[in-house]
Amino acid sequence: MKDIKLPMSEADARSLQLGEMITVSGLLFTGRSRFHIRAIEDNVFPPVDYEKINCFFHVGPVMKQLENGEWSVVSCEPTSSIRFERYGADVVRKFKLRTLIGKTTMGPRTAEALREVGGVYLSKIGLSGNALRGQVRKVHNVYFLDELGKTECTWIYEVEHFGPFFVAMDAQGNNYFEQLSREAESRMPEIERKLNIPVGYDYTEVNG
Amino acid sequence: MIRRETLTEAMYQAIRLGATRMPPDIRRALQRALAEETEPMARKHLEISLQNADSSEKGNGLVCADTGFPMFFIHAGAKTQIEGGFNVLKECAEAAVARATAECFLRPTMVNPITRKNPGNNVGPGMPKVDLTFDLPGDSLEIIAVPKGGGSEIFGTFYRMMFPADGMAGIKKFVIECIKDACYAGKVCPPAIIGVGIGGTADVCMGMAKKAALLRPIGKHHSDPEVAALETELYEAARSLGIGPMGSRGINAVLAVNIDIAVTHTAALPVAFNAQCLVGRRWKAVIAADETIQYTGEIE
Repeated sequence: MKDIKLPMSEADARSLQLGEMITVSGLLFTGRSRFHIRAIEDNVFPPVDYEKINCFFHVGPVMKQLENGEWSVVSCEPTSSIRFERYGADVVRKFKLRTLIGKTTMGPRTAEALREVGGVYLSKIGLSGNALRGQVRKVHNVYFLDELGKTECTWIYEVEHFGPFFVAMDAQGNNYFEQLSREAESRMPEIERKLNIPVGYDYTEVNG
Repeated sequence: MIRRETLTEAMYQAIRLGATRMPPDIRRALQRALAEETEPMARKHLEISLQNADSSEKGNGLVCADTGFPMFFIHAGAKTQIEGGFNVLKECAEAAVARATAECFLRPTMVNPITRKNPGNNVGPGMPKVDLTFDLPGDSLEIIAVPKGGGSEIFGTFYRMMFPADGMAGIKKFVIECIKDACYAGKVCPPAIIGVGIGGTADVCMGMAKKAALLRPIGKHHSDPEVAALETELYEAARSLGIGPMGSRGINAVLAVNIDIAVTHTAALPVAFNAQCLVGRRWKAVIAADETIQYTGEIE
């Protein structure tokens, strides 16, 4: 399995194929809804060098503070990225992100931004939060902990052979799940026929 | 007489075990699904998920980091006695959840919906949810703790008020379309356990869907043969969508379709849909009148 160095180069990003399984190694930052909303609506974001820390890991990890004050990861399960679609494309463009890691996928606006920037979206394989925590070599820093709490704040992790993940959106603007969705949609008429749902059936409309 | 300390301890242990162990019936169902799937990606999703559960059972991490909404479904008997009365259940649940959160068995996930402020202990108006039913014969108390992840609740909740003329076709169309949408890109973390409520008022309807998704063991059908037949028909339909684990190409979009019904208004046909994710977290504590506590992942 390929291991890609972070920050991901444009050449690496553009070489990745839909459905390909990879791991990544290097620095990444975490965030969820509050990161997206604040970065775009309020222009408030962690003061890091986004050229170096260029991978956005969509996650709300479970973090434990040790007696010596250091933080350790209890579990870090990628969260559903599709929730962030409203600001996804803006965040990719603003920080020129070449790597997003999360769960599910994202929508067409983010796909277009990734194509422009030369970036990919990586989706998780199974529930893997315990294996992933073992691949976090170091928790480097944390931003906005008091303001946002442990789940929504931004953590900086150094990871090694982090994954595996699969390429759900490539740097050419394609989405792995779009084809699957079309396949499921194409099976619906036969499924409805077997369920005795009449062709053209619709619910009673009462809202004018 | 069951004392508060005993109640709090049982609730704490049940939610801790719920967050760190995969119930045995769910594990068996996922292993069966793994034996059936042939696509490499579908298999990998299941293999990794099962390994992840093994790892948390051995004391390393959690079944899923999103420990979500903390909920307790409690069954009491007519003769069950609690020190301070049944109104202490809520404060015991709050203490149990706050402790499990402080010890990192639960992620601080519950926030104020308007201000988005996070108290950091998963306790606030309405949460943890405490659902109490008096349906046991004796003097014991059963507590089923459910940490319910966000994916399944956020992307797997649908309700539709239909009308009598919409009929069985309407019910089936609604459920199969909900399954397809909920499983797109692995939103609810398939293979999902689907709960469907038919009838009642809106809250009764959704309550049935939720309990059918969370609390019924895999493989158990509704006692009414007509309802059981509908469960099987929709289960088979979901398996022909071509959607597998985590929304990949495969067979197992669902582990079960569990339906419950209630009588409803003669003018109405309410249908509710609620999904549970593939790890189906729940753990049971049974407190006897002498305060001995037994914990089990087996639900009847």
